[in-house]
Amino acid sequence: MTTYTPAISDEAYGHRLDHVASDKRMRPDNIELPQGAWSGLSRVCMFAGGAGLILTIIGGLAIGPKHAIASYHAAVMAALAPCIGALMLIMIFQLLNTHWSITVRRQFEHLARLAPWIMLLLIPTAVIELFTGGTLFAWIGSEGHLAEMKEPFLNVPFWLLRGVIYWLIIFVLSQRLTGASLEQDRTGDRWLTAKMRRTSAWGIPALALTLAFLSFDWLMAVDYHFFSTMWGVYYFAACAFSALAIVMLITAGLRASGRLTGIVTPEHDHDHAKLLFSFIVFWAYIFYSQYFLIWYSNIPEETAFMNIRKSGGWEIAFYALIAGHFILPFLLILPRTVKRSTPLIGALAAGLLLVHIFDLFWIVRPEVYAHDAWKASLAPGLSPEQSTEAYNAVMAEGPGVFGWWVDIAAVVGVMGVFFAMLLRRVASGPLIPIKDPRLPKALNHRNYV
Amino acid sequence: MSPIHPDQKNTERLAGLRPQAAAGTATDIGDGSLIEDPASEPPLVLGGRSIQDVTEIVCGYQEKGPGKWWLPAIMTSASVAGIGQLMILYLIITGVGTWGLNNQVGWAWDITNFVFWIGIGHAGTLISAILCLLKQKWRTAVNRSAEAMTIFAVMCAGIFPGIHVGRIWFIWMIFPIPNSNWIWPNFRSPLLWDVFAVSTYATVSFLFWYMGMIPDFATLRDRADKRLRQGISGLMRLEAPELPFMPRLGFNLPVRSDTLRAYIYGFLALGWRASSRHWHRYENAYLILAGISTPLVLSVHSIVSFDFATSIVPGWHTTIFPPYFVAGAIFGGFAMVLLLLIPARELFANMKDLLTLRHLENMAKILLATGTMVGFAYSMEFFIAWYSGNQYEFEVFAFNRVIPDWMSDRGAPYWWAYWTMIGCNVISPQVFWFRAMRTNPMVIWSVALLVTIGMWFERFVIIVTSLHRAFLPGEWQMFFPTWVDILTFVGTLGLFLTLFLLFMRFLPMFPIAEIKAVMPEGDPHDPRGGAKHDDEGSH
Repeated sequence: MTTYTPAISDEAYGHRLDHVASDKRMRPDNIELPQGAWSGLSRVCMFAGGAGLILTIIGGLAIGPKHAIASYHAAVMAALAPCIGALMLIMIFQLLNTHWSITVRRQFEHLARLAPWIMLLLIPTAVIELFTGGTLFAWIGSEGHLAEMKEPFLNVPFWLLRGVIYWLIIFVLSQRLTGASLEQDRTGDRWLTAKMRRTSAWGIPALALTLAFLSFDWLMAVDYHFFSTMWGVYYFAACAFSALAIVMLITAGLRASGRLTGIVTPEHDHDHAKLLFSFIVFWAYIFYSQYFLIWYSNIPEETAFMNIRKSGGWEIAFYALIAGHFILPFLLILPRTVKRSTPLIGALAAGLLLVHIFDLFWIVRPEVYAHDAWKASLAPGLSPEQSTEAYNAVMAEGPGVFGWWVDIAAVVGVMGVFFAMLLRRVASGPLIPIKDPRLPKALNHRNYV
Repeated sequence: MSPIHPDQKNTERLAGLRPQAAAGTATDIGDGSLIEDPASEPPLVLGGRSIQDVTEIVCGYQEKGPGKWWLPAIMTSASVAGIGQLMILYLIITGVGTWGLNNQVGWAWDITNFVFWIGIGHAGTLISAILCLLKQKWRTAVNRSAEAMTIFAVMCAGIFPGIHVGRIWFIWMIFPIPNSNWIWPNFRSPLLWDVFAVSTYATVSFLFWYMGMIPDFATLRDRADKRLRQGISGLMRLEAPELPFMPRLGFNLPVRSDTLRAYIYGFLALGWRASSRHWHRYENAYLILAGISTPLVLSVHSIVSFDFATSIVPGWHTTIFPPYFVAGAIFGGFAMVLLLLIPARELFANMKDLLTLRHLENMAKILLATGTMVGFAYSMEFFIAWYSGNQYEFEVFAFNRVIPDWMSDRGAPYWWAYWTMIGCNVISPQVFWFRAMRTNPMVIWSVALLVTIGMWFERFVIIVTSLHRAFLPGEWQMFFPTWVDILTFVGTLGLFLTLFLLFMRFLPMFPIAEIKAVMPEGDPHDPRGGAKHDDEGSH
């Protein structure tokens, strides 16, 4: 345990804390939600979530387990992304010693603290996969050359063991960082900030590896033929992007209920939106680099994955994703007025959250019908027209548009549970880290441009 | 030349002054640059310097000169650069056969050096643009010199694609200009995108660097002008170096050095009058250029990585290349910044007050972070090479890079290059987990040197080990550099150092106004910046 020399005496620091606490913006009705607030909303979310999950199960029985499990899994990975992204972002904030982020950091912490619990939603997927011998994760039941080659990594016991390891790392990091922050609320001990910084230093490489392999295991392996070194970075881009969008949504909601006046100001929105903007571009950069290199090199084992996600109806989805995840938000968030307007940025954040869910669906869902249809279209000796017919014939066996209610049910189900837990957490205590040593700077944050 | 060196005058005035301790400050925190107390921030300028002192120190480097070491240093580096130019001349006269290239390894040191130098430049753009957008105040101490390195490194890099084509008189064909042969460049080739990416990058970086210097040029101009008016400017004097047992030789030139300064710096200052309108436009332009540079810094090295990754050569085709190259470039660039600025800190008077141990510590942390990032990319590459089930991809890693030839019959003759890369890039920065290591300039400098070596080897490993063994063993060939290869690269090191030494001698090495803005005097919330009371906590 490193000990540091204090630069100012405890007494002087105590005075500073008192000074901050006496600030008129720090009155309780500005930085706390009343007892039981948002619990109605949380209950509605939980109810919707439960109903959605039941409908998903019904869908699984009625349409097919693979469809239901794919929708559920995509939704869980979409809900897990902001939690892991928030954990990564609070560690980055701590290491960079950023000031502006202090007044929004608590919301990131709420998300991060949820990470291990949302991760438990992967258990149903794992259980079903094990009992059905590989529905969505085709490698579980597969034999053949490639499956055998990958067996040292892709085998059930190791897969589960890795899951447990990821859970432990995420659990320890999230509880340690958010726990220290909550403890600082009570004790005002400024050295907890140094502790959080130290944890973040080793936490970032640990979480980076966890995130990469988690994304390999639970996303890339839906098609075990496919591989991409970029995959971990791609999921990270989605994580950071969605975390920023959700926090933006929550702070907009809090200000709509009359909280955080003068604490999360347009200046903070401005910086927050700029960071979101940078992650919109970062996602596009990673998505483009990955797609472009696969397209340009045109090696069958890589292009198959992208081809499936760019054939039939998924082709529209592919372009919609590029437009919705990059082009539109890029243009919409560029004007300064938008970045500094709470309602506009809140609405934009809600839209981006939907796009983020769509991104995960684009990765997972084509495995259900499009994969087989695409394979059928490649049968030797087919003309282009026959190939399209073969594709459509396989797709026609699925429920088509009439099966989408299962996807919607799964998203509502998982997101309902996720938001129910998140809203309860947001209302559970102070909305900002009230005794963070950098709070005075954050309260007076200005962009000067 | 002014009779009294302004910097010297200041040193005398400040001799014996201790750093001013703020109210309520504990005394045992040294000069304060290494404060870790979350409740306070370390000062970015030490020694109790006033804002006038900052001007005096920075302008002093140009007005008085850096010291006796400078002339021998630039003579050496310029000689080395000259050798490099002779090698290029020899290459052009004789042909690329003077390099060690062969049928199998068609790219070796030339493209290795190109990617190495392009990467060096990235730290400058990261510091000036990205850290500016992230409001990292400490950047002000290093941004000017890092930006200068960007320009010089891109110049060194630009040499290699130019000379590696063999028939250099056709190099103009890389530009998309219609010519009499109706030959157009191949727009589908990443090599052409490189031309666009690098030239755009060089242009924007130069504009950014130059624009930042305009107010400082004006300061230098005004100071020279003031001395001329006061009549304290001496005539310019040429002197032979001091030799034992020899009378001092020297004579005066019929021109005052301040006259030259007033004209040259005045020309460069583009009529800057420091009016608030000028400052307003300057700040806007600075922000816009920072915004343009940020995607550029990513795009340049991404496109450089496309040179390899768009191919289907095992070891080259991998999707993580773009961000991995960018991280590696920033890593290598910061190493070069540290490699040059740590000695400069010792050689220039009072530079330690502006470039504190805290700055070095921050940069050491960036080395640790980016070094670990490239380590992450190495491990992803290796893992996916196995996971892909692609036998060729995996064997490039296992048998062309990792397993030494003395361990396996099929092992890699270039194993030492791979393990140099791992040792220097991934393992050596790990010492920065310890605070004692990252606050010790000698250790930082040594690691920076290792990282520079390691980053050169990274490009060598990527390029040569992937090429030297093709699919048929009959095509296997080793690459051995010739003396021309080696001296050309050494020559670019000399060119880079020469340019940097000229920069340190004649251009403002620190952004004077930006440093003043991060001092307490520039903070409206600080009593020293004009606040009525210590109002950090309220408003």
